[in-house]
Amino acid sequence: MQLELSEERTRLREAAEQFARSALGKDLARRERTGEFDRDAWRRCAEFGVLGMPIPPQFGGMGLGLSDLLAVMEGLGRGTRDQGLLFSLNAHLWTNSIPILKFGTAQQKDKYLRPLCDGSLIGANGASEPDAGSDIFSLRTRALRDGDGYVLTGTKMFVTNAPVADLFVVYATVDPALGATGITAFIIEKGTPGLRVGRKLEKMGLRTSPMAELIMEDCRVPASQRLGREGRGVPVFECSMEWERGCILASCLGAMERQLEECLAHARSRKQFGKPIGKFQSVANRLVDMRVRLDTCRPLVYRIGELKDAGRDATTEAAIAKLHVSECYVKSCLDAIQVFGGYGYMTEQLVECDLRDSVGSTLYSGTSEIQRNIIARGLKL
Amino acid sequence: MNDIRSVLRAYILENLLPGEDPSNLTDDTELKESGILDSMSTLKLVTYLEEQFAIEFAAADLEPANLSSIAALQRLVQSKL
Repeated sequence: MQLELSEERTRLREAAEQFARSALGKDLARRERTGEFDRDAWRRCAEFGVLGMPIPPQFGGMGLGLSDLLAVMEGLGRGTRDQGLLFSLNAHLWTNSIPILKFGTAQQKDKYLRPLCDGSLIGANGASEPDAGSDIFSLRTRALRDGDGYVLTGTKMFVTNAPVADLFVVYATVDPALGATGITAFIIEKGTPGLRVGRKLEKMGLRTSPMAELIMEDCRVPASQRLGREGRGVPVFECSMEWERGCILASCLGAMERQLEECLAHARSRKQFGKPIGKFQSVANRLVDMRVRLDTCRPLVYRIGELKDAGRDATTEAAIAKLHVSECYVKSCLDAIQVFGGYGYMTEQLVECDLRDSVGSTLYSGTSEIQRNIIARGLKL
Repeated sequence: MNDIRSVLRAYILENLLPGEDPSNLTDDTELKESGILDSMSTLKLVTYLEEQFAIEFAAADLEPANLSSIAALQRLVQSKL
């Protein structure tokens, strides 16, 4: 596999980084405190083309391959500290745009993909429930057949983007006795009678990405809004997760690069006991560990791009990358705080914000424990 | 029927029971309750059978009783041909 990015991808990454530095992360310290989504930044991302990158041109996108998109996400992660916004972008892309592209009918693609690309629709995903997190296939939301449609009833938890979303991809079961083979995906538009966004959820990190409960009470959805076949919601969900696991970490990779650069600059300029703190082996070793982690993470992320661009399955590889990068990210964030000392612990510098964001990466898109389960399955254990 | 049976046996032994003595897998071996077929592997097996035999299962076809053993799966596939 190629360990260095091609010139073209390097240019893409640099362009994304420049864009992020100039257009994203405005007033972040305040918005991070108040948990405020940056709708203007979302619009700017759409104008830059981020929301349409993996979508073919006939549906309003750019038709780029996954490896190109990873380079862009890495650049964005490096260029802005607003990881919440990047998390929202990822949720939108992998739980709405890609599943609709892969499993949608011609009408669904025509109706939804273009506005999802140009930013006029924001997508959210309703999968997790109060009692169905890692065991997602035990979900209880019911979809009862009713003439030419379904009536959905249930509550979804941890719905990223819910407070600002226009479109929801929701999973429900047509018959709990069928287990995974009863789960069915639906596209539901905001304003559909019986659908409402519940209480906003406050999070430890990724606070600029809004999250809420989603409640369906006798919510009638025509069969034309079913995404994929009845009882085949699991492949839709798995498709979402495979892409999300692969891509969401590219922005973490960028964040780790930015973090290392900031730590190196601080270690070179901050003097204690008469010399730069980087000259002390105990500090230098932390920076060395951060660099080693970064260099072991990058190939794992880009391997997913190569596999998916070649049309190959990347289930195990995505889980390996998700597990390794997220856990490395947390460790590097802790190291960064130690390098910055008391200043790293103060909220105004936002060094601690990286740590709070990083903890989320070991939980979303499947916890580290779930990633290990997937890898074990790949080993046929 | 024998063809369906051999396709099922080959798939299960290769993907779900690697290293298992083939003689331990009988037509009546319980697949669901024994944990051989979990949520994900059920979906993969069903998709494989649809592709292999150019058939389509409805959600209601996939009730646990129809997935409980090789014999039950064999009957289910046969009913769609």
